[in-house]
Amino acid sequence: MSTAPERDENGRFVKADRKAGSPVTPGGEHPLSKVLFGWVENKRTPNLLLLAVSVLSVFLILLDFVLHRHDYISFAETGGFYAFWGFGAFALAVLAGWPLGHLLRRGEDYYGEADTRPFDTEAEE
Amino acid sequence: MMPLLPALNPGLLMVVMGLIAVVLPWQRLRQFLLVLTPVFCSVLLLGAERGVDLATIQTLGLNLVLFKVDSLSFIFALAFLIASFLNAIYAMHTDDRLQDGMAMAYAGAAIAATLAGDLMTLFIFWEITAVSSVFLILRAGTKAAYQAAMRYLVIQVFSGVLLLNGLAYVHGDGGDLSLTAFTSFAEPGSVLIFLAFAIKAAFPFLHNWLQDAYPKATVVGAVVLSAFTTKLAIYAFARMFPGFEILIWIGAVMTVFPVFFAVIENDLRKVLSYSLNNQLGFMICAIGIGTPLAINGAAGHAFAHIIYKGLLFMSMGAVLYRVGTVKATELGGLYKSMPWTTIFCIIGAMSISAFPLFSGFVAKSMTMSAVGSGGYTLVWLMLLFASAGVLEHSGIKIPYFTFFGHDAGHRVKEAPFNMLLAMGLAAFICIAIGLPMIGGLGYGWLYGLLPCTAAAVADVCLSSGEAIKTYQPYTLDHVITQMQLLVLAILAFMLLKRAGLYPPERPGTILDTDWFYRKPGYGLAKWSGDVWLKLGPAMTRISAALFHRTFDRLEAAFSPRGALAREGLATTMSVWAAALLGFVMLVVLFAG
Repeated sequence: MSTAPERDENGRFVKADRKAGSPVTPGGEHPLSKVLFGWVENKRTPNLLLLAVSVLSVFLILLDFVLHRHDYISFAETGGFYAFWGFGAFALAVLAGWPLGHLLRRGEDYYGEADTRPFDTEAEE
Repeated sequence: MMPLLPALNPGLLMVVMGLIAVVLPWQRLRQFLLVLTPVFCSVLLLGAERGVDLATIQTLGLNLVLFKVDSLSFIFALAFLIASFLNAIYAMHTDDRLQDGMAMAYAGAAIAATLAGDLMTLFIFWEITAVSSVFLILRAGTKAAYQAAMRYLVIQVFSGVLLLNGLAYVHGDGGDLSLTAFTSFAEPGSVLIFLAFAIKAAFPFLHNWLQDAYPKATVVGAVVLSAFTTKLAIYAFARMFPGFEILIWIGAVMTVFPVFFAVIENDLRKVLSYSLNNQLGFMICAIGIGTPLAINGAAGHAFAHIIYKGLLFMSMGAVLYRVGTVKATELGGLYKSMPWTTIFCIIGAMSISAFPLFSGFVAKSMTMSAVGSGGYTLVWLMLLFASAGVLEHSGIKIPYFTFFGHDAGHRVKEAPFNMLLAMGLAAFICIAIGLPMIGGLGYGWLYGLLPCTAAAVADVCLSSGEAIKTYQPYTLDHVITQMQLLVLAILAFMLLKRAGLYPPERPGTILDTDWFYRKPGYGLAKWSGDVWLKLGPAMTRISAALFHRTFDRLEAAFSPRGALAREGLATTMSVWAAALLGFVMLVVLFAG
C-alpha cells in the first residue's frame, strides 16, 4: 500500500501538497442517503424537530407529577429534577466553552504538529 | 498436543500469532489468520476452568501463574477478544504487516495480562502492551505521531517500572505475588502499584498521553488503541483496589473535567479521547464504591464501552480514511455520501449517551444506582452532570458536526465494505445487549457475564461484605429519569444553537496539562542540555588544569629531584617530622 517516499535531487523528502480536507475519491451522493436522511434537507425539519423535542420535554416533566418516582437521593424525587439538571448541565458545559476557548486555544501549529494526517488515509493518493 | 491447549493462555497465543503476522507477506492469508485467532481464542476462554491455576511455571524463585480465569477476568478478556475480532475486520482494507501484527500482539498482551494469575505475569504483559501498541502510533508516519509515540512510550514504560517496583515491595513483604486485593495504602508496594495503574487508567493530570497519542495514530491504530490499555487498567484496579474510597472522588473528577475540553476541541478523534477519559471515570468511581453492584457496573460498563467506543472511533476512522481529516471545522453534510457510516455512528453515539434500548444505559444504570444508594450525593450529581456532558460531545457533537450541520461539500465514497461490516457488528452488539429482555435476547446476555452474580462470584465481590442482589435496569423510574436528562439536554442544544450561544468550532490546539511537560518541561530539558554542552568542556578544562597544577606542586616537593630530596634530612625533613608529630599529639589530646 505505502510506496517509497518521493525524494528530490538532493535526496530530501518531497512534501506532498496537503490541502486539508480535499476529497480525493469522488463519490457523489449515496443513493441511500435520500431514503434515510432526505428529511434532513426539508426546510421545515429544524422547526418540527424543535417542536417535537419541546413537546416530549413537557410530557416527560409532567409525568413526574403524575407518577411518584422513588430515588436513592431524596431531592431527586422533586418533580422535574432530572430535566432541570440535564438542561442546566448541558448549558453550563457548552457556555463554558466560550471563556475556555479564549483561555486555552492556541494556533494549530502551536506544538509544531499541524499535520496529523496518518499515512493510511486515501486522501493523498 | 491436545492436553496442552486448555492450559494455553489465549492472550499468549495471540501475541505469538501477532508476531507471526508481522513476517507474513500474503495479505489475505494474514488477515484470515487474524480474524480467526480471536474466534479460536474465545473458544479456549469459554472452555477454561474457573478459579484454578491453569498454567504455572517456576522461574527466578517465583511461582508464575500464566493462566487463571474467574468471572472478573472473564468479562474483560471476552470484551478484548470481541474487540480484536472487530478490529481485524476493520483493518482488512489495508495491507500493512507491521500494523496488523502489532495490533494482534497488543490485544493479546492485554488479554494475557487480564488472565494472569500473579503480579509478575501481569507486569510482563503490561509492558508488552506498551511496546507493541506504540507501533500503531508510529505507523501514522507523521512527525507529530513520531514525537507523540515517544512521549507515549516513555509514560507507558514508566508505568511498568512503577509496577515492577511495587511488586518488588509486595514480594519483599511476604513473597506472595498472587492478585489479592489491597486493603489499605499502608501495605508495602500498594502506592507504587496504584500509581502504575493510575497512569494507564489516565487519571487526572496523568491523562494526557491518551489525548496526545490516540488522535495521532493511524486510522486503524486509534480504533485498536481505544479498546485495550485503559480497560486493562480498569480491570487491574477492580482486581487490586476495590472499595478504595479515594477512587470514588478521582473517578468523579475524571468524568467531569474532560467534558469541558471536549466541547472546545476541534479534532474529533481527540474529542473521542476526552470522552474515553470521561467514561473511565464512571468505572473508576464504581470500583471505589466496591459493592457487588458497583463492581458489576464497572465491568459491564467496560464491556459495553469497549464496543461502542470502538464503534465511534471506527466511524471517525472511516471519515478520516475517505476525507483525510476529522476536524470539525472541515466536516459536515457527510450523510449524503456516507449514510451507513452515519447510522452506525449514531448508534454508537446513542449507546455512549446511555439512551434506553442501548448498551450504555443498562451498563451505566448500575453505577449510578450504586453511587446513589451509597449516599454519595455530590459524586452522584457530578456523574449526572457528566452524563449530560457525554451527550454533548459524543452524542451530539461527533455525529452532528461530521454528518450533518454545515455541508462542507465533501462527496466521497461510502466507507470500504470491511469497515462497514465491523461497524455493523459493533452496532448490533450495542443494541443487542441494551434491549429489554424479549425472548431470551437483551441486556440479560451482558448481565450473565457480570463478575458478581449468583452463578459466579469473583473474590472482589466479597470485599465490601454486601450481598449480591439482582438488578433491574428497565424500571419505569430509570427510563423516565434518563429520558428527562437526555431530552432536556437535547432541547438545551437546540435552543443554544438557535440563540447563537453554542460556541462555533474553531481550528486550534487546546492546551491541557501536557503543556507543562511539552513547553516548560521540554524547555528546561533543552536548556539543561545546552548548559551541559557548554559547561561540560569547561569543567573538563578546569579539572585538568587543577590536576596538572597539583601534580606539578607535588612533583616539585616529593620527586627524587624535588625540594625535600635536595635539602637532605637535617633541615626540611626534620621540620616536617616535628610538624607531623605535633599534629598527631594535638589530635590525641582533643580526641582523648
